Amino acid sequence: MEAEGQARLQLAGVSKTFGAVRVLDDVSLDIAAGEVHALVGQNGSGKSTLIKVLAGFYQADPGATAVIDGAPRELGDPNDIHAAGVRFVHQDLGLVPALSVVDNLALGHGYARSQGMRINWREQRAAARRALAAVGYELDVRRLVDDLQPVERTAVAIARALQSAHGEMSILVLDEPTATMPKGEVQRLVQIVRAVRSRGVGVLYVSHHLEEVFELADRVTVLVDGQRVGTERCSQIDHKKLVTMMTGGVVDDVRRRAVGTRGKTMLSLERLSGAELTGLDLQVRAGEVVGVAGITGSGREEICSLVFGSKPRRGTVTVGDRELPPSRPDRSCRAGLALVPANRLRDGVVIGLNVRENLNITTTRGLAKFSFIRPGLDRRQAAALGTKMSVKAPSLDASIEALSGGNQQKVVLGKWLQTNPSVLLLDEPTQGVDISAKAEIHRLIDDAVSQGLAVLVCSSDEAELERLCDRVVVLREGRAVAEVAAPDIRTRQLIHLSLGLTA
Amino acid sequence: MTTSSTSGPAPGHRAAAPERLERDAPGPDSKNRPAWSAGALRLDRFSGLYLAVVLVVVFSVMLPDTFGTMDNARVIAASSAIAGILTLSVALSMAAGTFDISLAANMTFSICLLGALLTRGDLAWPVAVSLTIVAGALVGAVNAFVITRFGVEAIVATLGMSSVLAALSFWVSDGQTVLISDAGPSFADAGQSTIASVPITVFYLAAVAIALWFVLEHTPFGRYLYAIGSNPQAAKLAGIKVQRLQSLSLMITGALAALAGVILTMQLGAASFGAGAPYLLPAFAATFLGSTQILPGRFNVRGTIVALYLLAIAVKGLQLQFPDLPWIKDLVEGSVLIVAVSITARAISRRSTR
Repeated sequence: MEAEGQARLQLAGVSKTFGAVRVLDDVSLDIAAGEVHALVGQNGSGKSTLIKVLAGFYQADPGATAVIDGAPRELGDPNDIHAAGVRFVHQDLGLVPALSVVDNLALGHGYARSQGMRINWREQRAAARRALAAVGYELDVRRLVDDLQPVERTAVAIARALQSAHGEMSILVLDEPTATMPKGEVQRLVQIVRAVRSRGVGVLYVSHHLEEVFELADRVTVLVDGQRVGTERCSQIDHKKLVTMMTGGVVDDVRRRAVGTRGKTMLSLERLSGAELTGLDLQVRAGEVVGVAGITGSGREEICSLVFGSKPRRGTVTVGDRELPPSRPDRSCRAGLALVPANRLRDGVVIGLNVRENLNITTTRGLAKFSFIRPGLDRRQAAALGTKMSVKAPSLDASIEALSGGNQQKVVLGKWLQTNPSVLLLDEPTQGVDISAKAEIHRLIDDAVSQGLAVLVCSSDEAELERLCDRVVVLREGRAVAEVAAPDIRTRQLIHLSLGLTA
Repeated sequence: MTTSSTSGPAPGHRAAAPERLERDAPGPDSKNRPAWSAGALRLDRFSGLYLAVVLVVVFSVMLPDTFGTMDNARVIAASSAIAGILTLSVALSMAAGTFDISLAANMTFSICLLGALLTRGDLAWPVAVSLTIVAGALVGAVNAFVITRFGVEAIVATLGMSSVLAALSFWVSDGQTVLISDAGPSFADAGQSTIASVPITVFYLAAVAIALWFVLEHTPFGRYLYAIGSNPQAAKLAGIKVQRLQSLSLMITGALAALAGVILTMQLGAASFGAGAPYLLPAFAATFLGSTQILPGRFNVRGTIVALYLLAIAVKGLQLQFPDLPWIKDLVEGSVLIVAVSITARAISRRSTR
């Protein structure tokens, strides 16, 4: 489908494989001058990989081509893409919060000087105001970025991107710009994007929020499992059609685990609040898997940390019949709570300890007699656990970094199952894990549940929730808005509910 | 917590080959070993040891009358022993991911305190020594309190503590070096005698080294410290009491600094004001160099001992070779500190970009 006007960006034949997993498969995309082109898809559909390929962060598989403003460009070379006038505004924006708007706009661009190397602040402020005016925005440029509202920060980031291209910007890529933005501010962002578009810039707009897509975009491209399933004019489709396209490749998986017998309530949350989350009530019983669905910013990301005590919380958390003190992960562990965190490398494995030490870290005390860790027992337990979790590692003494993400995750899961917890908290248990490891992890979770564990799983992968859960709570804007119970959990319906669409 | 090493595979789980963990790759760590480490020499782990041997041979051939003598070996061993105890205390705090720059000041303070207790306090010397070591541990406890409770950066907190301790040292000793004359002959013997012609201080170092090696590598406490030093966030989320264990390590660090001061006092037979300061930089240099040896990437006891003696041999050899260059010791120790830290920093940045 050709858009009116000259194409500013033409991507063709972009594939990307990591190991044996193909995350992008022959994706093509074109963006016309003055067009807002939305890119949508589920988590793991390849949106962010595509952007990282365009940015030159990843090298695409051979055969991919990029043409910008009629000239072929080197994909995978960040400098060439930058020289072609492509600019990225990522979710974290890359601003320096402690500096003023003027300084943030001058960073990387240079300060206006007057005689004697002195910064000409009057000229500098005027330049900053001009840069903001170019995106149709006005604000006191002397304020600190830290004091700005989210949409104002985004405006500064976009203005900076535009300014750095010296008016030669061809493509602006906005990656989830509204993920942490209150609804009221989104309208102001829409106006900024329109101002950028009116300069003839092609905008690639990545978002989970379909209403923004329909309000802003001219065309939308849908990715499913790394493949482009279609590019449509927004005026010619509706919400329902778009969601069908997004979930088209999703197979409604048959549940494999028989619903077991439920025991008494093991985990009880009352009016749990903190970060994005407000007043969540939730019970998980022994032998039950409860899922939490929700888009980025819905509060889903924080639940596990709040319950475990690694983030400060309000409300009560009860495990068994004991109420847990907040901000005490060690007490949570002793009460029988276990957490498999989302950020594996930062919070899950201990980089610097080897595979054996990582496997045994939660049970080291039990390996010791008179404070002496018995080396044989240390090895045997790690070997048995590694085998049970089917961890593939060069050796027990290998660095934990030598393992693939899936195997690292099995180590993290294994170290916790070894403590015989009563409640297991899983935060994105299979993020960045290949398909076979994902299936193995799911099976290990099934095994643990069938032995009477209570599991709370938070995931941005709705298909995973369908696969694992007996019950799923859907969060939107920090509150529980719906609850679905097996056997009626459907990936598609969870997506509808998370996005706030009526199914 | 339970430790069921006997528990088999979970029900419904396909049993994997029991030894598959060992068989997936040809050799241990083969992926992580740099290319130049190939072969039985394991240069990545033992380079310091080889270098030390080479230096001993080279200096002994060049300086047979001064370097290649038993007396010189004894001097190197004895003078390194006190520095070694301080160095191990640095390694212990670094292993736990914290930092104590007030160690040298703590050592000086302990010397002054011991001098005061012995000359004015009229105490039996074992009592005075015990009190001094407890005082050192208390200094560590105060450091730990400020660092973990108030969240003050370790370098700032212990830098401040250094200055406070300098003041206390002066207050206790009036800035005077005092001869310890009335503590009895057993006090001097405890620092100056030899056993089988090996200076007794070497045995003190050996005892401390063995104890710390055991604690760091063979007890849960040590393993938790390494976990905290590698990744405090993940350690905390594994249920480890990060602050408590870091505090404990800082207290032991303080006690060891005091012990170093006590042994120096015994060796000199005098409480020498300001004697701790020159030990600070070499201690950090040897600690960082030690983290590249034996167990690379970890602040480990054996590596630290190798680094300690490598440095001592290099410094002594150069001092004897160039007797008219008094600055050679500072030059070597400073350079080693910078180079060793560069190596560690490079290893860390390579790790995080992979």
